[in-house]
Amino acid sequence: MRTLVNILKKELLQLRRDPKILPILFLAPVIQLTLLGYAATTDIRRVELAVCDLDRTASSRELVEELTRSTYFRLTAAVESQDGLDQLLQSGRARVGLTIPAGFAADRSAGRSGAVQLVADGADALSGTAGMTYAATALQQATVAAGVRPLIELRPVVLYNPDLVSCNYMVPGVLAMILMIMTMMLTAMALVREREIGTMEQLLVTPLSPGHLIVGKLLPYALVGCVEFSTALAVVLFWFGVPLRGPFVVLVLLTLPFMLCTLGLGLLISTLSRTQQQAMMLTGFVFILPQMLLSGFAFPIQNMPAVFQWFTYLVPLRYYLVILRGVFLKGVGPSVLWREGLALLGLGVAILGLARLRFRRQLA
Amino acid sequence: MLRRTFAIAVKELLQLRRDLRTALTLIVMPVLLLFVYGYALSFDVQHIRLAVVDHDGTQASRDAAQAFLRSGYFDLIAQGQDERMLDPLFDRGAAQAALVVPFRYASDLSAGRATTLQFVLDGSDSQTATTILGYARQIAASLSPLVDVGAASGPIVPVPLVWYNPDLSSTRFLVPGLLAFILMVSSVIATALAVVREKERGTMESLRATPLVAVELLLGKTLPYLVVGFVSAGGALLVAHLLFDVPVRGSLFWLAAVTLLFLAVGLAWGVLVSTIADSQQVAFQLALLSSMLPTMILSGFIFPISSMPAFLQWLTRIVPARYYLVALRGIVLKGAGPSVWWPEMASLGVFGALLVAIATARTVRSL
Amino acid sequence: MSRPTVVARDLSRSFGRFVAVDRVSFEVAPGEIFGFLGSNGAGKTTTIRMLCGLLAPTAGAATVLGLDIATEAVAIKRRIGYMSQRFSLYGDLTVEENLRFWGGAYGLFGEAIATRMEWGLDVAELAGRRRSLVRDLPGGYRQRLALACALLHDPPVVFLDEPTSGVDPEARRRFWDLIDGLAAAGKTVFVTTHAMDEAERCHRVALMHAGKLLKLDSVPRLKAAFAAGTVVEVRCPDPARALRHVESTPGVSDASLFGDSLHAVLDRPSRRAELAARLDAAGFAPARVEAIEPSLEDVFIHLIAEAESEAA
Repeated sequence: MRTLVNILKKELLQLRRDPKILPILFLAPVIQLTLLGYAATTDIRRVELAVCDLDRTASSRELVEELTRSTYFRLTAAVESQDGLDQLLQSGRARVGLTIPAGFAADRSAGRSGAVQLVADGADALSGTAGMTYAATALQQATVAAGVRPLIELRPVVLYNPDLVSCNYMVPGVLAMILMIMTMMLTAMALVREREIGTMEQLLVTPLSPGHLIVGKLLPYALVGCVEFSTALAVVLFWFGVPLRGPFVVLVLLTLPFMLCTLGLGLLISTLSRTQQQAMMLTGFVFILPQMLLSGFAFPIQNMPAVFQWFTYLVPLRYYLVILRGVFLKGVGPSVLWREGLALLGLGVAILGLARLRFRRQLA
Repeated sequence: MLRRTFAIAVKELLQLRRDLRTALTLIVMPVLLLFVYGYALSFDVQHIRLAVVDHDGTQASRDAAQAFLRSGYFDLIAQGQDERMLDPLFDRGAAQAALVVPFRYASDLSAGRATTLQFVLDGSDSQTATTILGYARQIAASLSPLVDVGAASGPIVPVPLVWYNPDLSSTRFLVPGLLAFILMVSSVIATALAVVREKERGTMESLRATPLVAVELLLGKTLPYLVVGFVSAGGALLVAHLLFDVPVRGSLFWLAAVTLLFLAVGLAWGVLVSTIADSQQVAFQLALLSSMLPTMILSGFIFPISSMPAFLQWLTRIVPARYYLVALRGIVLKGAGPSVWWPEMASLGVFGALLVAIATARTVRSL
Repeated sequence: MSRPTVVARDLSRSFGRFVAVDRVSFEVAPGEIFGFLGSNGAGKTTTIRMLCGLLAPTAGAATVLGLDIATEAVAIKRRIGYMSQRFSLYGDLTVEENLRFWGGAYGLFGEAIATRMEWGLDVAELAGRRRSLVRDLPGGYRQRLALACALLHDPPVVFLDEPTSGVDPEARRRFWDLIDGLAAAGKTVFVTTHAMDEAERCHRVALMHAGKLLKLDSVPRLKAAFAAGTVVEVRCPDPARALRHVESTPGVSDASLFGDSLHAVLDRPSRRAELAARLDAAGFAPARVEAIEPSLEDVFIHLIAEAESEAA
């Protein structure tokens, strides 16, 4: 016990003396969270709309009004000809083009349907789809307002996130990513540095067991991770105002097995970092990138081919994202999330076990 | 001056050739990554887990449910008559959407009375939810004829048309972004590591003792990586074209030109990182953090820039990939010529020059 | 000898096909300063690491204080001190903090560590700088501190791997004074070095080359192995070019450049005159060939040359 405390004290002393540590620990996560929390938005707003109104009646102008009144569209240009519209679309200055043909109002007052041409820039699939959907919905609403109703109306009920604000979904995700990257890299760095400066050998000659060394190394970074988590959580809750619907305790408790995984990964990375250049480049691509792209952070797992979906079962971030989003958005608790918690625990133990094995093997 | 630069470039190339593992990694890695993630990443939602609560139990109600399932987007995961079964399903994530058919649905329809279908959605992931809602609306619209209930005027019928990407496959949109992302990260890391390695080995000292000027040194060191990066970019584009149906509608020449410019800027960024870092570890981390996260999130690769708050849109101006993507997507998907994207490329060029200037100034100061 | 502290029997270690240590056998007596001499890559560090339990042997066996290195490594670690070749204290911690940490690593806490820390500060002559950061200390002091840290738990055996590398001669001399003190107190000091002058201060020296133990004996006896008068110093103009001629003279077993003169080993003292005459005739007049007291370096070079010609 006292030996552990001894190692802990040394680690914390070293941490405190490192001038670069403080900004990395506290400033960096907060800044990153703030920046990325705002950037990682899938709410398509202010889609650039260009209009070619060939009818030029009150009715057609009203239609354009309808569309641009909302925040969904931003009117970037009103052109005289179809060609002008085409150019704007091609250059990307407009993402959706609306052409109202001559005779639109006349058709409608005669009770005939008034067709309008909607062109979307499919090269930007997100804005394109969204633009189309918004426009179609708005047009339908305009139709309904005029008294024509579909027989079957679809009434949507949106659970958990009624305003469909992507912030509540993405920001916890960014929190998870930053926590993961920070704890992983700090742990890996610390161990490789020990080897680099040569104290590792000296440590191995003492009666300290590998277990002592590992725990002694991971514990301070677990503490660091907790502090970072708290800071980042505060930003999420108070700055972004993401509502926390589920039990706070569950959130904190289930973050621990996740940190177990990331710390274990950091340890594993350090055992792989013999020739620093190649190993570190590979681990950046093998450990960080897949977790960013395949964990369900930005790209839904269910959209992936089966092979990848299988693979994500090995990605700790996947489970943690489910936990985070479950607690924040859905307000669910352990009765639903126990599976994910267990998976994280299992993964964490396995990773640590593997790392420890490699660590010991490097002794002889 | 050119000859000395060339000498450095040749040395770097030779070293690279001997370190076959790194060389291969640099070339193969981007192509491999594109291959893997091109398949993995998609916004096209499929296999939507649908629960059906049927209060009516008639042929018509069954038809309605069938219409959803037949569309190919939805998978039926539960069926029943009690709405209370939905809550636990949604909480667990077992269901993403639910169709609730009301009592008297069929009789209302046949009597010409308006009726509603309730569609419950898991709104957590708003993007997926919006897409699902879009599908649902389409299907509902196809189910029901428009009925004139004493209308003042005729309906508005949109005639939709999608350019460049008619089936709105997200892959064609994502893959170019993915390519830009991968190229940026690998060129920054490769360069940063190369220069810092020199520093660590101490050979930097001996190089300083030669008549080499800072610019020549930097240029010479990064030139081979430009070539390597270009080769791998070509390979990746080939993969994108053959496997992911990404067309190349514009001119290959301009494609090569803008890619070269982008790679050069990536290298300049790497050099800048190397002037800040002293050890390879720090260099790697700095390179990674400064290129990976910003490029992934701020370049327009996934999240549209126009949707970001104003101050962030301003920030994206220092993300090189942002400019490259406009040109890349333009050329590849739209067949757009320089007249369309030259402002972006000019900005990129200026940005690159700025980076080189700063990096050179820093190197000179340390010499 | 009374119960040896370190015993090695056919100790070997290979890395793949490369044989780093080849069947090395020796015994070290308590209170002895045992020197392991050899050039870089001779296998000294590998041997020491095996003895300290850092590396497992691929063949052979060894015991330290009667404990088997293969099976009782942890017990050995508790009883030995080790100073690695690379400086391995924490530069970003103070002198005090380093002492306290390493003491704690050996199980010294509370009263025990307080006392030993004072001792350590004394030995390293850093009592007035206990709160300085180690990275701010000059080289000589750092080495002494490293030695102190290795001795906090008062081990009977100390392994020092090139402890004075990169240290100025004055500091080196004082460091060796410390080592003498340790041996006088009854501790066994096992030290590797490639500096001949340091080897001269050991009780016995083991010469290592290419993984093999060439010779093990006390310094005076090693030198005496050369018959008197057979090691000579040759002074003549252009010694660099003269070397070839000296080497090709019959009866010369090896020759090497020594500063601005040549050292050569003759098979019998009478060759001296022959060699001088030959050099004069070859145009290197005036040539003077004088017998000198063989230095350890001469012995070493000779033994290596012998070993290599045997291997060829």
